[in-house]
Amino acid sequence: MSSTLLRPRSTRTLRIVGLGAALLVGLTACGTSEADEAAPAEDTGVAVSDAWVRATAGTDDPSMTGAFMAIDNEGEENVELVGASSPVAGKVELHEMAMVDGSMVMRRIEGGIEIEAGFGQVLMPGGNHVMLMGLEDELAPGDEVDLVLEFSDGTEQQLTVPVKEFTEEEGHYHEPGTEPGHHPSGSPSGGAMDMDSMDSGAEEGSEDGPR
Amino acid sequence: MTGTPSSRRQFLGYLGAAAAGAAASAPLTAAAVGQEGPEVGPSTPMSTRTPYGDHQSGITEPTQRFVELVALDLLPDTDADALGRLMRLWTGDVVSLMAGRPAPGDTAPELAGPNADLTVTVGWGPRVFDLPGLSGARPAGLQEIPPMRHDRLEDRWSRGDLLLVVGAHDGTSVAHAVRRLVADAAPFAALRWRQSGFWNGFGKDGSPATGRNLFGQVDGSANPSPGTEVFDETVWASEPGWFAGGTTLVLRRIVMDLDEWDTVTRAEQEASIGRRLPDGAPLTGGTEKDDLDLTAFEDGRPAIALRAHARLAHPQMNNGLRIFRKGLNYTADGASGRTESGLLFLSFQADIARQFVPMQHRLDMHDALNEWTTATGSAVFAVLPGFREGGWLGDTVLS
Repeated sequence: MSSTLLRPRSTRTLRIVGLGAALLVGLTACGTSEADEAAPAEDTGVAVSDAWVRATAGTDDPSMTGAFMAIDNEGEENVELVGASSPVAGKVELHEMAMVDGSMVMRRIEGGIEIEAGFGQVLMPGGNHVMLMGLEDELAPGDEVDLVLEFSDGTEQQLTVPVKEFTEEEGHYHEPGTEPGHHPSGSPSGGAMDMDSMDSGAEEGSEDGPR
Repeated sequence: MTGTPSSRRQFLGYLGAAAAGAAASAPLTAAAVGQEGPEVGPSTPMSTRTPYGDHQSGITEPTQRFVELVALDLLPDTDADALGRLMRLWTGDVVSLMAGRPAPGDTAPELAGPNADLTVTVGWGPRVFDLPGLSGARPAGLQEIPPMRHDRLEDRWSRGDLLLVVGAHDGTSVAHAVRRLVADAAPFAALRWRQSGFWNGFGKDGSPATGRNLFGQVDGSANPSPGTEVFDETVWASEPGWFAGGTTLVLRRIVMDLDEWDTVTRAEQEASIGRRLPDGAPLTGGTEKDDLDLTAFEDGRPAIALRAHARLAHPQMNNGLRIFRKGLNYTADGASGRTESGLLFLSFQADIARQFVPMQHRLDMHDALNEWTTATGSAVFAVLPGFREGGWLGDTVLS
């Protein structure tokens, strides 16, 4: 069940069960006595695999990058990815790509990324992703990044994620700004993201978590 | 965004999700990776094999149709820590690719798919154990093969610090996996050589069979069978410690002079190996899997010639020691517009110095096949033990 792509610091810390998980068990246990076994407290059934972080070395703006992965919910309840953090990033947000006025833009996700019970979500370039911002150091291919994912059931997953080169054009998910008109004047197309305009478009609730 | 209803065990991969655009939801796929498949079993084009176990994939399985051998050399700055990062990176790639999923960050995700019978085997060359921190970890008997009289070794096919053996039932899956693994290794290691070969492990009726080299010989008849005690003793490292479950691999690129071979009578061809060409049975009778009778005489001469390959490689001639051999046929552009044909010979054994080297010396001195065969490449590797879910290649020595 544990992720094989990622390097848990130890199997013990792969899943840290919080209050929410205990609550979840309590709720499901109301229905039948079998539910206790179906949702053991130590395992909420969320498995993360195929995680990687895009290298920033040589990019236009090495202060930010994306983390990508597949998240499978093998449990019985829907779960949301609600946040993330990393020691290498000053700030981490969940981002999505969306069509706004005919243009694909990147913006912070309001709320979390839902992973339906029995299904998976793919975070990938050009789609939902974990946005690492305020990077102090360049991330080079071959580096590793520690990443903590926070889920709506109160669980966390601590991962060590490889940094990989991604050769596709940067603009694929580093789309500047929320609207074409908000490009900073000097920014080349597909270059650095306009964080100011993006933040201004998605301010509410950003510091207190998505929920 | 929510997923479309589908069986949670349905193995669709994430590609459909990628095509859908921005947000994507897909049926569970990682779960399917964890399925415990049989470690040994018939190899078919519809197989998806598990990367997990005491041993790496690609050793006990029947040889797939396409196999590529890739050697890399560590960059000067790659120390044991960096090697650990590369092994974790490769582990992620191996797990994804074997399951039929794109490798993380894959630039050509459509080339990944399940049921390719893909296996990846990773080894370390002797120089890795010169790295600070690893000098005490060198497996017993891991050494380059001493020069043999019939060798004409070329640097471009020899040695290497890291090895990948990538096999599948189609060449596209092999090429894609090799490309991803080599690209991801770029911060740590540079390509040294690539050698690809092919094998047909199926008989005329489509059932698994030993396969033939380009001389037409059934090749590998005397191999110990995976899962037997003899196999375990022959192949897996015996000493306890980090290398338990590992093995060693000798690679020899053997050029075959098919033009000369074609001029030899079939009786002489069969005598040179000691086996019948139609079915690989010993010249002393029986079927392919029957043992040779090394004591039998015919018309006052040994029925299996003293210089016959199968006699010289027989355990009775080698203090009871064996190897586990695999072969890959290859053709390549040779000198002056000629085609080079040959065999990429893989020998797995617990201890190269104890098992392989004495046998190779004996064959080098006496083997009748030397008339038509020349080794032009040679390399040796410690094939890492297998890894568990959540573990990674080399974690028993690098973590």
